[in-house]
Amino acid sequence: MSGVFECKHARLAIGGDPQALSAEVAQHIATCPQCARFRDETLAMEERLKAALELPLHRFRKPTETSKAAPRRFALAASLVLALLVGGGAWLFRPQPALAAEVIEHVNHEPGSWQKHEPVSAEALAAVLAKAGVRFDARFPVTYASPCPFRGHIVPHLVVQTDRGPLTVMLLAHVTAEGAGKFSEGEYHGVVLPAGPGSIAVVAREGQEFDGYLKPLLEGVR
Amino acid sequence: MNPRPRGNTATSAFARLLETLRPDLVRFAFWLARDRAVAEDVVQETLIRAWKSREEIKDPAATRPWLLTIVRREHARLYERKRLPTVDLADVEVQGDPALLSSDTSDGDAGLDDLRRAILQLPDEYREPLVLQVLGGLTTAEIGEQLGLTQAAVLTRLFRARNRLRVIYGLTTAEDVE
Repeated sequence: MSGVFECKHARLAIGGDPQALSAEVAQHIATCPQCARFRDETLAMEERLKAALELPLHRFRKPTETSKAAPRRFALAASLVLALLVGGGAWLFRPQPALAAEVIEHVNHEPGSWQKHEPVSAEALAAVLAKAGVRFDARFPVTYASPCPFRGHIVPHLVVQTDRGPLTVMLLAHVTAEGAGKFSEGEYHGVVLPAGPGSIAVVAREGQEFDGYLKPLLEGVR
Repeated sequence: MNPRPRGNTATSAFARLLETLRPDLVRFAFWLARDRAVAEDVVQETLIRAWKSREEIKDPAATRPWLLTIVRREHARLYERKRLPTVDLADVEVQGDPALLSSDTSDGDAGLDDLRRAILQLPDEYREPLVLQVLGGLTTAEIGEQLGLTQAAVLTRLFRARNRLRVIYGLTTAEDVE
């Protein structure tokens, strides 16, 4: 059983040195989902932290404008995927079992995301998207929007409400999908689609149809 | 054929090692001083001192922490000698330091700039061990030796540093420790 003291001790160790956890802390994490999540978030942040500290020394002498290319590339690629999807070729890509499993695992970590029914404010949604450097024009009410660590980056984890129920949408602008395909695991099924340098994951609960919503969701990627 | 004297080979190897480590020394000095010109000066002094004292280094693996120690000392010495004014974060941003205001990646990752600003806003006592650990690759024990702190104190400072940085990602902060 995980006690308050144990969690506090574990989080001190994780926050102090996330790369070198003792066996005692590792054992606690194995039985405490909250601390496991704290560890995962810290490790994801760690990669960003290292990137931030590794300053671009060449820019000490030669400043250049901040690149705005990522959202545009993301949008362009999404439109290409959409064209393939409309043409019926989306399922010709190879599936991505590892990526799909990570998406499912992430969704499993946030079961409460499915229970939200009140739309988040436009400002809150914009803030989440800005943190990840992506743009998304949601065609459905967004009832959950969280900037989540995923593979070393912060990505928007959204839940949109359709007339057939909620769908999880993760905009993985930094996760390259070599291919795409449908997946199914436990009570969830979904699809990961490549989007230029990134990808998009859409997850539905068992028995819920989502194919009909992919087109408007992809059109929303700007 | 006359083989090169062994001493020359060792000297060349040390010079190459310094050149390899120099970028990280500049970065470390920048995070200490929050000023790129001061960082360059500190590293220049560091490399001169390191070169003069190169015989002290027997284990190449120990060079990195040794150089980081010299950077810290030179930074302190420079401030002591010149009585440099402390750099205000607002001034750093107004000056438009490109290292802070521009992304270093080709993917337009503006989030890194937010993170850099947040790191700069950390108190010195939190920022320095964080940089030593993440950028310098030092263990908490080594950081303790550098800063004259117990390992437990280092862990607490690192925990608090990361806890503050969690906020910019909208992550829940952990309960503070005594």
